[in-house]
Amino acid sequence: MKEAAPRFAEARIPYGTWGSSYFPAWQTSALAEVNIGQFAGEAMNRIMGIRNIPTSVLDYLIIGSTIPWHWKFWTAPLVASCMGRRIPGYHMEQACATGLQAVISAAAEVQGGSNDVVGVLTFDRTSDSPVGVFPERRDYQRTKPLADVWDNFGFDPATGNAMIACAGIAARKHKSDRRETDELAFYRYDQYFKAKDSGFLDRVLIPLDVLNIQGRFLGRIDDDLGVRRLTPDALRGMFELDTCITAGTQTHASDGMATLLVTGKDKAPELSSRPEIDIQIIAKTEVRTQPSLMPEAPALAVQKLLGKTGLTMDDMVVVKNHNPFAVNDVIFAKVLNYDWKKMNNTGCPLVWGHPQGPTLTRVLIEALEEAVDIGGGYVLVFGCAAGDVGIAAVFKVTDGGKQK
Amino acid sequence: MKSLRQPTLETLGLGNILGIFQNGKLPAEAGDLVDRIFGKPGARCAMVVSGANGIVGAGKTIQLASRLIPFDVPIVGLDFPGSPDGIGGQYQALKGFFGQKRADQIMANIIRLNYDGKNLPSELKKLKPRFLLEAIPEILEIKKAHYAAFREAFPTIEIRSVTSGFPSSELGVGIAHPAFPHNINKVWEIVEDDVSPITQLFWALGLTPMPVSDHWSFVLDVLFCGLTLAGMRYHRASNMPFWKIDKFIRKFMGPNPFRAHDAIGAKGANFLTWSCLYHLSQKYGDLFTPTPELDERQETGQNWYPLNHFRPLVDWAMDDGDEDEFRSWTVGPLVQMTSLMLHENRAHLSHINAIGELCAQFRSGVPAFIRNMGVEAAIKSVESYHRLHPEAAGSGWYPDVFNKVEEPEWQQLYVNAEHDGKVGAISIGRESYNSDVDAELNRAIDWLRAEGIDRVIVTGDFHLASQMVGADTSDFFPALSEGEKGLQISTSWSQTARRLNNDFKVSVGFINGKRCMGGMLELLMHCHYLVSEKSSSLGMPEVTLPVVPGMEGCHWPFRKAKTDDIPKLLNLLLTGKQLKAKETVGWLVDFAGSFDEALPLVWKIVTEGEQSSVSRRTVVEKSINIPTEVNLPDSGNPATEAARKAIMNCIKDSCGTSLADALAIQAGHSADFMSSDYCRRGVIGATCAKVMNV
Repeated sequence: MKEAAPRFAEARIPYGTWGSSYFPAWQTSALAEVNIGQFAGEAMNRIMGIRNIPTSVLDYLIIGSTIPWHWKFWTAPLVASCMGRRIPGYHMEQACATGLQAVISAAAEVQGGSNDVVGVLTFDRTSDSPVGVFPERRDYQRTKPLADVWDNFGFDPATGNAMIACAGIAARKHKSDRRETDELAFYRYDQYFKAKDSGFLDRVLIPLDVLNIQGRFLGRIDDDLGVRRLTPDALRGMFELDTCITAGTQTHASDGMATLLVTGKDKAPELSSRPEIDIQIIAKTEVRTQPSLMPEAPALAVQKLLGKTGLTMDDMVVVKNHNPFAVNDVIFAKVLNYDWKKMNNTGCPLVWGHPQGPTLTRVLIEALEEAVDIGGGYVLVFGCAAGDVGIAAVFKVTDGGKQK
Repeated sequence: MKSLRQPTLETLGLGNILGIFQNGKLPAEAGDLVDRIFGKPGARCAMVVSGANGIVGAGKTIQLASRLIPFDVPIVGLDFPGSPDGIGGQYQALKGFFGQKRADQIMANIIRLNYDGKNLPSELKKLKPRFLLEAIPEILEIKKAHYAAFREAFPTIEIRSVTSGFPSSELGVGIAHPAFPHNINKVWEIVEDDVSPITQLFWALGLTPMPVSDHWSFVLDVLFCGLTLAGMRYHRASNMPFWKIDKFIRKFMGPNPFRAHDAIGAKGANFLTWSCLYHLSQKYGDLFTPTPELDERQETGQNWYPLNHFRPLVDWAMDDGDEDEFRSWTVGPLVQMTSLMLHENRAHLSHINAIGELCAQFRSGVPAFIRNMGVEAAIKSVESYHRLHPEAAGSGWYPDVFNKVEEPEWQQLYVNAEHDGKVGAISIGRESYNSDVDAELNRAIDWLRAEGIDRVIVTGDFHLASQMVGADTSDFFPALSEGEKGLQISTSWSQTARRLNNDFKVSVGFINGKRCMGGMLELLMHCHYLVSEKSSSLGMPEVTLPVVPGMEGCHWPFRKAKTDDIPKLLNLLLTGKQLKAKETVGWLVDFAGSFDEALPLVWKIVTEGEQSSVSRRTVVEKSINIPTEVNLPDSGNPATEAARKAIMNCIKDSCGTSLADALAIQAGHSADFMSSDYCRRGVIGATCAKVMNV
């Protein structure tokens, strides 16, 4: 394995100290009825319990979410209280980059020596998202209401365009064609269902039972509800909303949470169920591309990352991205000259949904599990975020002697 | 006089059960003891409760004031100026219990005084206090200074501390440690060199004093704080939230210690639990070391359960492996702590058992729990706990104490037997009948029969059971889903009850508590004679649960009754209403009177049998006819109506056959109804679902 100097040499992700809820599509599950911050705190506590990690080891908590939730003012300390811990921490937010940026932030906490065991907890509830009312004295309406999820998807104040318009513009710029995006989307669904059928996802996703206000069973979150097997014919027959964009080639809103720990390198073996596995955080980059070209931003971020680390795509054993649109992958493959069939092997947000905050955390967890399965190596995780931003990070998994 | 094991009354210097009947009177009278302690009527001295506005102080002020009011003992409630009005806070509950007039009288008899913590109020002089019950904060030096102030002003005053943890040897006063909820819980753990008149007065007032040894923390707090600590340790090991740990502890053992802390008031309860555990850990090591969660909460007083707006969202489940680990973390330390208390001879084993049940919500007291799980399994649970928490293995573990489990002290936790060579007494020290009581009752009968005793009195124990409320319905939980289990319980319990009729030449049941209901009443009605204290309430509340009585209540009393009295029995069974014992003479009980009348009569009956003034109502062995028309107004509740119908069918079928066949018929009816939807949706089913479906 080629050596790349880690930017966070002191930080590690202990193998197995992670987990995610399933991501049911918005309005389909009991998650539509919960305070997602509270749910996330309790779910992290449960997941860590299942992983035999006492949450008493946590020094610090970084939470990431993008949609306002009740009492968010109280940020990470409140969420930590929901897992029975009184630890400090903060909330960070970077649209759909949140789930990866939170991990990098945790690594920085460890690298800087501030904390030794940092919990990363990302979550969002797109269902019934709050509606804000903003006093705007310079606006003729004086006050402006904003439905947090849909109004933001529909309008980038910096460009005036909707997300979906960005996808169409990027598809046209990169001359994507409908046939390829449909083919890619079908392939992604197939990858997801193969991973699901193989039991791979059971190692990442934890079923969680949700209680109602009386303490009675309200619902079990044990499936990525809303994901259905699509056929090539069905994809071909879908109405095109913009260039290469159909209901089948774009993601859907969903609810969920995901969590992992970032620790000092000496602490990691103590907490890991497989201490022989070493997971390093090598580097991260971000770019902001031209207006309304968000789907190409991840490819540019990866190019920048490879340049900074000296690694090539051939060095990557796992490549996985947050792809709200199938054109993201098509463009990435073109820009990096990479076979899109070699990436997103266990599923991706295009298929299992888009709860924003936790999306890239789940992507990362799946990627790390996949890397362990194949004996380790470099793991490339990347994705796009609102504002035409791309984020990319590379991790190094060394599996106790299997692959050096 | 021989007894199967030491009567618990002996620990109070009050003799034994048989002696009560032989002497024809209770061993201590409240009036006599009040005179001895507080002086004669007209010149009564006062009782003082200090810290009277605190949770303990207020509860105990009200409890003692309400019981001492017939004796005109002035009650002084002493506290700091500006302390929250804890006594006033008890008024509504008092009114609920006694009605406004009586509640007003009780409150009017409480003299509230303030003091500055150092100088006693001058008004105390003229009240001449003779007894101080100290309920001030758990700070040793403050307590000692408080006693010194009282002793200087009133040199002969008797002082008892309600302390949760400090031994008497540290405080220099006796201990009367009460249990929550303080206004109604009758149990007091008593530490004193010799049994004092105050302790006997508590008994005579209907309270339940239990002597315990002078060690750091007493039996209740070792069990309760210890179990709480066990829950905290499991939390640290598993992350399981306290609310969920509570549910599993309740499922497996009965208590919900974290809810109890919040209900008592987390601020005070957390501190007391921490204080007990801290001091225990200083003496006994890491078995008792508080966890950081408790360290934090003893300062902050934070609740263990989430606040209402954060009611839990994510549920927790256990598989078999988790359950084993949970038991190791919780049962293991509990067994170890019990071994320590037994090693130190902290109390009569029945007291240790009863304290767990009466004060800490254990479904079975801890000794009974250990007995039922088996010594080998109990020891293994501790060994398993030590593997998880090796620091606890260092001290305080005495497995040898369990070698005595086959001895009567262990085997007769609830039921004792005594005899004088001619007459025996069986006393039941548990308010509800369960399989443990059933087994112990059989052993007591076996012992008396083996000793050649054929005349017996069957009664409550005048100590741990102040009433007999009926069957312990938690024993019915398995029967809700398995008819066979219900049949087994009903059959075996009925067979035991019949032994009171069949195994003795003369058997006399005596109802000495404030009520006798359901299964306990069915049990005692099998005696040849049934005598009751006149104010006791009797009833068959099964229809309200609903269940069908399973211990022959549907035919046995009918076989003893005159035809004219059958409607009264039907009314008793089909309405669930309670009657005073004196209203049931001739058709349910054979005599009801005051203790002065009833106790000698019981002795007369048991010794003279047919020759006594009370004639024996014989049990008709052949089938009897029961009127089919019962005109009761519709209850408006389908479950009650279904139960009435089932009970009526049971009455007809079990009365319409021979005595020999009736037992099986009644058991069948009872078991069938128990597994019906009506029962599953009723009180027992709902309780079972709440407790067991975690």
